[in-house]
Parts: sequence; structure tokens; C-alpha cells
Amino acid sequence: MKARLVLFGIGALGFAAVWFAGARKLDPMGSYHGAYGEILNAVSVPERHSTNVVSAVNFDYRGLDTLGEEFILYISVVAVAAILRKQKDEEEEDEDEAPTQLREAPDSDAVRLFGVGLVPVTVIFGLYMISHGSVSPGGGFQGGVVLATVPLVVYLCAGAKTYLRIAPPALAKGGEGLGAAGYALIGCLGVLAGKKFLENVVPLGTPGEAWSAGTITLLNLTVGVAVGTGFVELISSFVEELLRKAEK
Amino acid sequence: MLAPWPVALPLVAAAFLAGLGDKLPRRLADAIAIGAAAITALCCALLLAGPPVVYWFGGIQPRSGTAIGIDFAIDANGAGLAVLSSLLILAALFFSLKYFDKPAHMFQVLLLVFLAGLCGFSLTGDLFDLFVFFEVMSAAAFGLCAYKSREVGPLQGAINFAVTNTAGAFITLSGIALLYSRTGALNLSHMHRMIAGHDDSLVLAAAALVCTGFLVKAAIVPFQFWLADAHAAAPTPACIVFSGAMVEAGLYAVARLQGALFGLPQLRTPLLAAGVATCLVGAVMCFAQRHLKRLLAFSTIAHAGVILCGIAVLEPGGLSGAGLYVVGHGLVKAALFLCAGMLLHRLQSIDELALHGRGREVPWVGVLFALGGLLLAGAPPTAMFFGDGAIHHALEAHPIARFAVTVASIATGAAVLRACGRIFLGLGPREPDAPGGGEQDEEPETEAAPIPWSMWVPAAFLLALAIGSAWLPREHAGSAAARMLDAHSWATQVLDRAQPAMPSPPPEEPLAKGLAHAALTVGLAIALALLTLFRKRLPEILRGPVRAVWNPLAGSLRALHTGAVGDQVAWLTLGVAALGASLVFS
Repeated sequence: MKARLVLFGIGALGFAAVWFAGARKLDPMGSYHGAYGEILNAVSVPERHSTNVVSAVNFDYRGLDTLGEEFILYISVVAVAAILRKQKDEEEEDEDEAPTQLREAPDSDAVRLFGVGLVPVTVIFGLYMISHGSVSPGGGFQGGVVLATVPLVVYLCAGAKTYLRIAPPALAKGGEGLGAAGYALIGCLGVLAGKKFLENVVPLGTPGEAWSAGTITLLNLTVGVAVGTGFVELISSFVEELLRKAEK
Repeated sequence: MLAPWPVALPLVAAAFLAGLGDKLPRRLADAIAIGAAAITALCCALLLAGPPVVYWFGGIQPRSGTAIGIDFAIDANGAGLAVLSSLLILAALFFSLKYFDKPAHMFQVLLLVFLAGLCGFSLTGDLFDLFVFFEVMSAAAFGLCAYKSREVGPLQGAINFAVTNTAGAFITLSGIALLYSRTGALNLSHMHRMIAGHDDSLVLAAAALVCTGFLVKAAIVPFQFWLADAHAAAPTPACIVFSGAMVEAGLYAVARLQGALFGLPQLRTPLLAAGVATCLVGAVMCFAQRHLKRLLAFSTIAHAGVILCGIAVLEPGGLSGAGLYVVGHGLVKAALFLCAGMLLHRLQSIDELALHGRGREVPWVGVLFALGGLLLAGAPPTAMFFGDGAIHHALEAHPIARFAVTVASIATGAAVLRACGRIFLGLGPREPDAPGGGEQDEEPETEAAPIPWSMWVPAAFLLALAIGSAWLPREHAGSAAARMLDAHSWATQVLDRAQPAMPSPPPEEPLAKGLAHAALTVGLAIALALLTLFRKRLPEILRGPVRAVWNPLAGSLRALHTGAVGDQVAWLTLGVAALGASLVFS
């Protein structure tokens, strides 16, 4: 233990020294001399009709990175579901475990009323963020996470069984696959149209309107579906485990 | 035109299987997974056969020398790694058909996303994209590793794997941030033009940081601690991809970044030193194991050291040798892992000592295993044999590295042959409490049953491919290696759309010299295996001194491999500091 601390101490000091030596040569705060950012700022509205340059970068100029990032999230959810899956000989082991207390719906009108009010607002806000990704800050990733909080609010207000009724795991799983595959398939549309993978193939519309920017908006939708359902599936994996134990 | 498919196809297939997998008939799901991997292999093979190409996603071409979009900059090295990866995934998919007692479409999904990650990683020409695909591959690998999550061991192995590799990835990301702040660019060739000739302490520190994450993945000393735990934990079909392609992908990234981006001769000494240490640590630890998957895992560490030595000379000869070595090693090592998996399936054990003589039940697994051991020691004909020769040739001026590389071949070959003699021929006395390798056995992954064709065919196929790989065109590999190290030539193709001529390949080592060297390593490996098996018959005067050296050496090295994740991160920190200091403060 002590040897480890000494080892780590020496390493950390050396690491800090290397970092300092490198960071000392950084340009002053706020200076930017790359041509990259300037070009993107100049071209994203005329070329892609996207007033949100960040979205234009994420879903068009560097759209392949986002495909990868979406699948990092996707495969992490799949991996968690695979790790938590029911395996052989688990049945018998479950017998020995003490049944877990299932979270009952709270006996509080205040919480329920709050939930009833929160759910529609959250749904609309989530959908707005996803569909306006090319116009204003937000987009599929952010909106998807907002949408995924809706079933979570239901879980808090109405308990696990209602949660599973409004967010059936099969639907979440299918939606997740559809969203993830959708991104790649929209990329393939470009190839089918005789262009490059992930190249825009749909009309660009008017800059500043929700349905503009071509594939950027479509990709935002697929990411919104994949992220939203992905988080729901993650929560479901745990809720189902709880339900199973509570039923014993 | 083929460029996007190695990434897009496995991803679409994976999403489809994950969404619908449990609704589809099992055969159909299997066919989709195998078909996707096979078509990916075909696409990559076509890319390998063609000239270097640059593919801009979204059709976003560079403007006046500034890269705006993301490109795949595909050469024979990257495409070759992608072919190897898809062949190994294909073998893993076949092997797992009857390996899990339950339908395993989740496992197939993880393998397919892993494949897409490996392909994107091998083909991309963009630094951040490299990192993204690195993470795709890592996330899938963590899931594969923890797949047998009912046992405590696999979860611990997977956690160590995830923690150390994620720490490495963060360090890489911080290096990318430093470089981005300097260049305002992410395309490798574009960045190269901005930093060429300005290797101040920022670039050097960034080079050390960026390489660290990849060296962790490559299990280079002192970043190697996670590897054996992860391999012991992971299901056998995942091991073959970890050992055969993922570790090598880490090394490929180092070579690729050095070639296309950094071009820093200062990297030679620290990388060579790390390579030598990796060869020796891997060789000793490999020889000291009795748990077959751990034995093979440590041999992978030793071979990663050999490959790094080939890369570290920073010359086309060594690099092309490393490329050939990766191909041969990946195929041979994968076949050996599959043999270990068959033993675990049929005999329900993977402990060399407990299996003493029991392998006689499955003699032809023994034939495959022995063949694999001989090829691993460097026997011709494989690409590994030619790669080994080229690496030796390139290390002419570095006798210590040459020695370490030879030791790695002999010790790992001897360890496999020793296990083979003991298990399949029942050679040597029974040793109930011989020096063990920490963990001795693991829970079987299946019910004991005869070995189905879906298990032995992939193993035999991989060995046949390994032998066939000897006829890969070596001049092509040589000029691809020379090209890989020529950042200027890459930059003109990527940014100026020129198609530079391929450089001529480096001179080859004469075949006779390679054969003589192979005869030496294989002969010594066999001798060492036999001497270990029959050591009780040797006079005490010989055994005493060997014991006096070996026991403390193996014992102290093993004592360092505690399996505690805190220790592994402490070593990792020390490793980054050493690599960074050797570059920045020299």
C-alpha cells in the first residue's frame, strides 16, 4: 500500500512536470489562429442552412465522429443490459437473496400533481430541442436525455409497474436499435444517391426554420430516438431487476 | 467507394440484431452477424489490394489546404489491420455459435460494434476520429470482457480493464487537446504541416500523452497489467480479438501517428526501451503460467514487445516486419486461444497441470496446438516468420533489443509446447503443486460435450491462413511501410489531392539467414520445453542454479501483478511520466 503511494507520488510528480512543460507553451487564453473555426463559421449557414454551427459540425462536417459517439453510448447500454441479463443458475441463487423492497408509488398528492404537470412540459421541451438542433443550441443528444427523464418522472410519481407500462422494454430496445441504425442508414442514403457517405441528399430549406438544414435535422431525430430510448432501456434494466426480486 | 462500409455495415447489422435479436430465429440472427462480418472482410480485402485512397465523408473536401471534414486515409497497413480484425471477428462469431448454451445475440452485437470500431480506427486519417473509434472499440471490449458476469473474477478483470484503459484514453484526449490548441486542426496531415519542425516541449509532451492511451491498449510495460486479467475473464471468442487485433491496433496507432503526424526521432529510444522491457516481462510471465489463457495472454504481451521493437526503429524495414508479424501473430494466437477454448469446453478445465495427459481424448486439438506453438516460436512458413526476420534485420544496431526479441520467441514458443507436451502427450511427471500462475483454473463456459465443427473449423482455418500468409507480397508491405513513415507524401495526397508514387521497398534479409534464425529459436523452444518437462531427471547441480535465478525472478515479477486496480493505475502514472520526461527533458 505504502509502496503504491510512493510509486504513484513519483509518477504524479513526473506527470505534472510533463504537463506543465507542455502547457507552458500554450498560446495565451482566448487566442485562436487556426483557419478551421473561421471557415466553419463562414460556410455553415450558406452551405448547410444551419444557424447552429455546432450542430453543423457535429452532424455534417464531422458527422462521422457523431456516428461513432452515438454508438459508444449505444454499445454501453447494450453492454450493461448484457451484464445484467438473467443467466443460468441465477434462479436458484435468487432464492437465497432477501427480497428487496420494491419502491411503492408515493402516497403524496403533491408529488403526483407535480409529476402530472412536469410530464407534458418535459415532452414538449425534449421534442423541441431535438427538432430545433439545427437552429438553436440543443439537438438530438440533449433532447434525447430530456425525453428520457419523462418515464423517470413517472417512475417517481407512480411506481415501477406504471413505468414499465408506459415505457415497455421491448419498445425501448426496438427504438434504440432503430435510432442507432437510422444514423448509419441516413449516411448510406448519400451513397445510394451516388454521393459520399453522410452527404446531404434532402432539400435544405430556409435557414432558421426547424425543418431546414437537410440531413442535419434528420440525424438529430435519429440521435434523439437512440439517446432517449437508450437511457430508458438503461433505467429499465435496473427496474426490471428490482421487480423480479420484489416478486419473490 | 468501399471506404465507408467496414464501419457502416457492422454498425447497422449490430443495431438490427440488438433491436430484433430475440424475435428473430436464432439461425437467421447468426447468419446476419456472420454475413456482415464476412462482407466487411471482403471490403477491407479489396481496399488492401488497391492503392492508397483518401475518402472524404460527406464529400467535404479540404479548402485551400485546410481539412474541414473527416477523411479515411487508407493504406495497406490500415486496410491490412482491418482485414485481420474482420477475419478474427468472423472466427469468433463461428466459434461462439455453439459455445454459449443460450442464444448469444448480445455477444454478437458486441463483436460487430467492436469490429466497426477496429475498422474505423485502422482506416481514419483524423486524430479525433481515431480517438472516437478507439472509444467505440473500448466500450464494446469492456462489455465483451464482462460478459460472464455471474462470476466475480470476470467482473473484476473487466473493471481493471475498463479503469486502466479509460485512464489511458483520458490521457490521450488531453494530449489531443494540447495539439488542437497549437494547430487548430484535427486532420493528421493538416496537423503535421502545422507542427513539422516545431517540436517544442508542447508537441513533445502532447506526443507522450497521445501515445500513452494507445500503449495502454497495446499492453506495453508498464501499462500491461490489465491484459492477463482481461483475457482470463473474457469468454474465449473475445480473447482472440483482444490478443489478435486490439493490442496490435494500439501499436498501429503509435506507428501511424509517428508516421503521419509527429515524425519525432526522439521517440526511438523510449519506445525501444519499452519494447525490450515488454518482451522480457511477457516472456518470463508467460513461461511461469499454468492457466492456459493467461499463458497465451502473457505471450501476447511478449509479442507486442517484439512488434513495438520493430516499429520503434522508425525505419521502413522494421515497420514492414512489424506489419507482417502482426498478421502472422494474430492468426496463430487466435488459433491457440480457440484450442484453449475447446479444452475448456470438452474437458472443463484450462489448467495445464490438471489436464496432464487428458488431452489424449482430443488428439487433433493437440496437433493444432503444437502447430500453433511451433509457428509462435517463429517456424516458417508464416508472415510471422518473415516479419521476425525483418525485425531482426532492422535491429542490427540494437543488440539488446535483438536479444529480447529472440528471448520472447523462444520463451513463448517453449511455454506453448510445454503445455502441449504435458496435456496431449502426458509427458513429464504429474505435478500437483508445481509453481502455479496465480489463478489456476476458471469455471467452464459450457456444458461438457463433444467438440462441434463450429469450434475446430475456425481454429484450423486460422492456422491455414497463418501458413498462407507467408505468401503475402512482401514488397507491397515494404513500400506501404515506407509510405506510412512519409508524412510529407501523405499530406500531399490528403490535402493537395496528388497521388504520389509508392516508394521502393526496403532491402530484405536473405532467406537463409532467416531460416537459420528460425531453426535456432524453434530448436531452443523445443529444447526448453522438454527440459522443463523432464527437469526432475536432470542432475541437481544443473537444476540448483537455474532454480536460484528463476524462482526469485518469476516470483518477484508475479508479485507485481497483484490484480489490484490501484496498483495498475500507479504504474500507469509512472509510465506516462517516464515516457513524457524522456521526450520533454532530454
